[in-house]
Amino acid sequence: MLILLTGGAACGKSAYAERLTEGYEGRKYYIAAMEPFGEESLKKIARHREMRSTRGFETIERYTDLEHLVLPEKGLALLECLCNLTANEMFSEKGAGRDAVGAVLRGIETLKKQTDTLIVVTNEVGSGYDTYGDRTPEYIDNLGIINRAAAALADQVIELVCGIPIFLRR
Amino acid sequence: MTLIIGGRSAGKLDYVKSLGYSEEQISRDPGDDCPVLYGLQDTAAEDPEGAEALLPLLLKKELVVCDEVGCGVIPLEKRDRQAREAIGRLCVLLAKNADRVVRVIAGIPTVIK
Repeated sequence: MLILLTGGAACGKSAYAERLTEGYEGRKYYIAAMEPFGEESLKKIARHREMRSTRGFETIERYTDLEHLVLPEKGLALLECLCNLTANEMFSEKGAGRDAVGAVLRGIETLKKQTDTLIVVTNEVGSGYDTYGDRTPEYIDNLGIINRAAAALADQVIELVCGIPIFLRR
Repeated sequence: MTLIIGGRSAGKLDYVKSLGYSEEQISRDPGDDCPVLYGLQDTAAEDPEGAEALLPLLLKKELVVCDEVGCGVIPLEKRDRQAREAIGRLCVLLAKNADRVVRVIAGIPTVIK
């Protein structure tokens, strides 16, 4: 079972994702893709840790190369999020660079094989007005391709708007 | 006319092709006789003030495809702000006059009108 959650920033994706995992009996893994750069990301990470602390998650920090991640045992995984993972694969030293899209998608496949429930969180970033002079458009395109491929693989695709789930596919 | 909207790289073009339209039927020129106008955001940005005047031509199309551009931060440059505004307003007008409006997210189309 693969569930893809999408939506804008701070729209309640994480909280909804964690609610979806309630009542799950097996091992629960939280795959954190956000590299802690500076105070802002540390704050966000602390907030997410707090939300998960009572829910029995084992946290695995994995910023790149998801495709070679081996989980200790089959279970549920919550992957958060494709927007960070894609940026890491594109821009980080250890990333896949030009093969970022392939690396992320193979990573999702790898996780899917090792889980009975996989919840993937991503982000909508393509609805701004493109006035970026740098590699941002390339990032937006890559994340768009990844989101479409992930949605095609998913059993359910849910968009969150102000914390309200909108079922794009169920 | 059906208006198809969605963010950049959300899967709008794949959706158009899934409806049976070929590359030759898709163009960026509102004035030609292709049934599909693609990339309206770029056409409108060329002349924001004249964007509304495109309406009669656009309504003759079977499909009009436009990026959603209004969900980011306000652009720094005045001409970008004007373009963004014109694209949004034009989409509202088009949607009002369209038979159907389809929004594509992560490759999944949802009919919203």
